[in-house]
Parts: sequence; structure tokens; C-alpha cells
Amino acid sequence: MLSWSGTEQGLEISLEKVKNTTGGVDVSFARELVDFATAATEFDKAALTAARNNLINIAGLAVAIDASAVIANFEMMTRLADSTGARMQTEVVQDRLAVATAMGVDNVISRR
Amino acid sequence: MSLINVSISDVRADLIFAHEQAWSALSQPGTWWSGAQRRELAHTALLAVSENEPSPPWVAVSTVADKNLQIHFASSAAHDAVYRIARHAATLTRDWYQRITQEIEPLAFIELCGVVCTVATVSAFRRALDLGIPELEPATGGEPSRIKPANVVDATLNWVPVIAPADENAAVVQAFTAVPETNRVIWAMADAQYIPDKEMVDPHWTRGTLSRVQMELVATRVSQQRECFY
Repeated sequence: MLSWSGTEQGLEISLEKVKNTTGGVDVSFARELVDFATAATEFDKAALTAARNNLINIAGLAVAIDASAVIANFEMMTRLADSTGARMQTEVVQDRLAVATAMGVDNVISRR
Repeated sequence: MSLINVSISDVRADLIFAHEQAWSALSQPGTWWSGAQRRELAHTALLAVSENEPSPPWVAVSTVADKNLQIHFASSAAHDAVYRIARHAATLTRDWYQRITQEIEPLAFIELCGVVCTVATVSAFRRALDLGIPELEPATGGEPSRIKPANVVDATLNWVPVIAPADENAAVVQAFTAVPETNRVIWAMADAQYIPDKEMVDPHWTRGTLSRVQMELVATRVSQQRECFY
């Protein structure tokens, strides 16, 4: 979905850089959004506070709230997918394997 | 840089409403579990998502003495499943699903997954903004409805059964359909948190804050952190 939406908007997305959280993605506030999503899914409260404040300062409170909502949504959807054995059709997996490899999730247990 | 406190009054009303409805439902009778059972399982899910040092996936959390789980109304197997899904979802396998559904009926398992999903999403949102996790409401009495839709069938794209026709929609979309109330609550939250269903095909859709590609950037990072292949 990231590759698709980026392509549709004429933006260059490096999934390798998203995986490594090294920025370099041609999207506004990409560095801050990835840092916030990373901190929100880990357990360092100071890092989360810093990432949230940084995002609010640079992008605004409404952006931080909606980013939190997207984070929350995918904390839900990843569990929904993995607990119900959700999988894509074989041909879809083949189409998207390059993306999965770039993200480092081509060999996780949840691949089925 | 100044410390910025976020207030619940800063949050969109539609998002607050969706979360409040789902959170309240955790303590109410569902389709296959009572209010007391659902509340108790939600409590275990909350523990699972908030622990700094969780039990590993191969340990049945109900056997760990210092966890102090409240196991009065739902079975130990249900609590163990909830903890595993809430904290180690990427480690789940078909073999695990087949074992757990020898103890928990598949439609009850789907509702249990919905309880975990609700806890995970509301607590993640609150934690991200340092809003504090709301208390679970007291359990409401009454029996689960036990209403089973007539057209429940096996699927190829999910372990769990779904409403027919199977496999015509994406696996995540059909996953909870065999328990319609769970499905409704979860997708009401998804509409408010992410993108309304009817707008999903529009790569330019936005609420005026995040662009679609910014949303997908965040979604991709969370999915990668959770090692979710799907």
C-alpha cells in the first residue's frame, strides 16, 4: 500500500530505508513519522515522549493524533491478520515478494 | 523543545466514539462469551501489551504464578490464547490454531481475537499520546447471544471460518465475518483510525492531516515492527 500510494502521488519510496529507519523517503515529515511509529511500538517511554513532541512541533498536533490513530489501527490489524491465519493468494505473494524482502519480512514466521 | 501535553478533548469525536463503543463492549455479553469472560480476557490482553518483560510465546501464561491473572470466568486456555495473540501474534501457526480450537470453538475464538484487537488498538492509541488507558467497565450480566449465522463456511485464505462466499474479499476483510458483532466493532474503529472502507481505493484520500502516503508509511513501519508478513 505504501509503494502503491507513493507511486500514485509520484513519490519515491525506499522500503529499505523505512525498514532501517534512516529516513531518505520523499514524504513530508517521513523521518518524524517513522521515529514516532517506532517509539510507539517499543517500550522506551522517554523515546516515545521525545518522538511525539518532535512530531507535534514540526507537523502539528492534529497530524500526531492521526498518526497515533494509524499506529493503533495497525496494532489491531497485525493481530487480526496473524490470529486468523490471514494470507494472500500465491500469485499476490509472488508479486509482492520484492517488497517483503526489502522490508525484511520475507522470512518471518507469519508468512504463510 | 517544550513538553506538549495532549488532551482527550484534542481527539476527533468520531474516533473517541468508536473507541468508547468498543471499550464498553469489552465488558458486555458478546456472541459467544459473557460480559464477565470478555472483561477478564481483556484484562489479560492489557497485561500482555503493557509488560516490559513478557512471558515468551512458548509459555502458557496461566501457569506463571507472578502474573496474577484473573482467571475466574474464562478458561486458562482462553487466557493463554489471548496473551499469545496480544503479545506474540507473529509467532502463531496453523498447528497452534488447530490445537486451540480443540478447546475453544472456532467462532468463540474469533470473538476472542476481537477482544484482543480492541485492547491492542485502544491502548496503543492512548499510549502513543500519553493519554492513560481507561479502566475496564464493570461486567454487564446476561448471556451471550450464541447467534450463529447460517452461511458460515471454511476459507482458503484464513484459518478461521467466514461468511460465504469465502475468499472473494481480502483475508483480513473476511476474517471476522462469522461473528458479525465483532466484525462491526472492529471495522468501525478501522474506519475512524485509518481510512473509511469506501475510500480505500483512493490513493489521494486524506482527512486533511496525513496524506495517504504518510498513513501508509506509518502503517508499514508498525507492520514491520510486528513482523506481520500480511
